[in-house]
Amino acid sequence: MRSLPLLLSLCLLSACGPADDSPLVVYGLEVTPPRPGMNMSAGYFEIHNNTGDAVRITRAESPQFEAVELHETTTVDGVSRMRPVDALVIAPGTTLKLERGGKHLMLMRPVEASLETVELRLYSGDTLLLSVNTQVASD
Amino acid sequence: MNRTLLIAILIAALAAGTLLALNGDRSGGTAMAAAPRVATVLPEPQTLPEFSLTDHTGAERDRSFLEGQWNLVFFGFTHCPDICPTTLATLSSARKELAESYAGTPPRIVLVSVDPERDTPEKLAEYINYFGEGNLALTGPEASIRELTEPLFVYFNRVPLENGSYTVDHSSVVLLVDPEGRFHALFSGPHNAADYVHDLPIVTSQT
Ligand SMILES: [Cu+2]
Repeated sequence: MRSLPLLLSLCLLSACGPADDSPLVVYGLEVTPPRPGMNMSAGYFEIHNNTGDAVRITRAESPQFEAVELHETTTVDGVSRMRPVDALVIAPGTTLKLERGGKHLMLMRPVEASLETVELRLYSGDTLLLSVNTQVASD
Repeated sequence: MNRTLLIAILIAALAAGTLLALNGDRSGGTAMAAAPRVATVLPEPQTLPEFSLTDHTGAERDRSFLEGQWNLVFFGFTHCPDICPTTLATLSSARKELAESYAGTPPRIVLVSVDPERDTPEKLAEYINYFGEGNLALTGPEASIRELTEPLFVYFNRVPLENGSYTVDHSSVVLLVDPEGRFHALFSGPHNAADYVHDLPIVTSQT
């Protein structure tokens, strides 16, 4: 299921059908289950920017988590470091990949004990860029 | 002894570069059967530093507890949503895949916590059992953990974050420890299950 391209649309209330020429398209959205003893999940996806302008995601939220942060893990000279980043920038016409061991969303403190579907909302400042849903991965 | 270990690791690191280059040349051709793809095997296995840590069941463990089987030793922490569970899931799926063909039990996963403040034995028990049966997690006072990590040049450092919490930077290496409790080989990452499935039988002389 999660390999289906998820449609996001800036025309949230209209009847936009799935189409890869939407301004922003998210593929392969995956949210990891919180591991036992661990109060957090990670979110990974690819996002393609079909517009002629760079898109900056500056924050994210989810009704299923108390807090969502934009993070990046880097491994340099054999040392892994995870840090918050100010923004995820998608250049015009390009795809940005959030992946294991790289940029990711860190989803902290699930609101409910059992987590099935997760909604993610990506913002640029106060502007909602898109909202996407996925089932939590069974990994 | 620390000095010997340092030299061994440096030699191993050089060898890793050479092996990588050899593998690059070989790709596409018929590979020699018994060469590991990514593992760096130490020229001489090195006895691990002595340590005393608490495992996920609350029992005190020392170096001798690693003896009697092969071990894949990873340094990480439970409040790490990205790289740590990814590496542990990689090791876990390699173990599962190996279990079918391996003579004996595939190397057990040993998670050494680099975040003893948050990683209590109870928390580690829930966490490590998620990645399969028969695995081991170790924690203890930071000074005790460093008695194991520092002679091995395994790095970790606690870093405060703006949101008031903290993260821990840490080495991404996985050490292969042999049934005599000796540091035998290392996997420097990035970690892929297929590499472990390929290399472990060779390095542990299963083939
Ligand atoms: Cu993170």
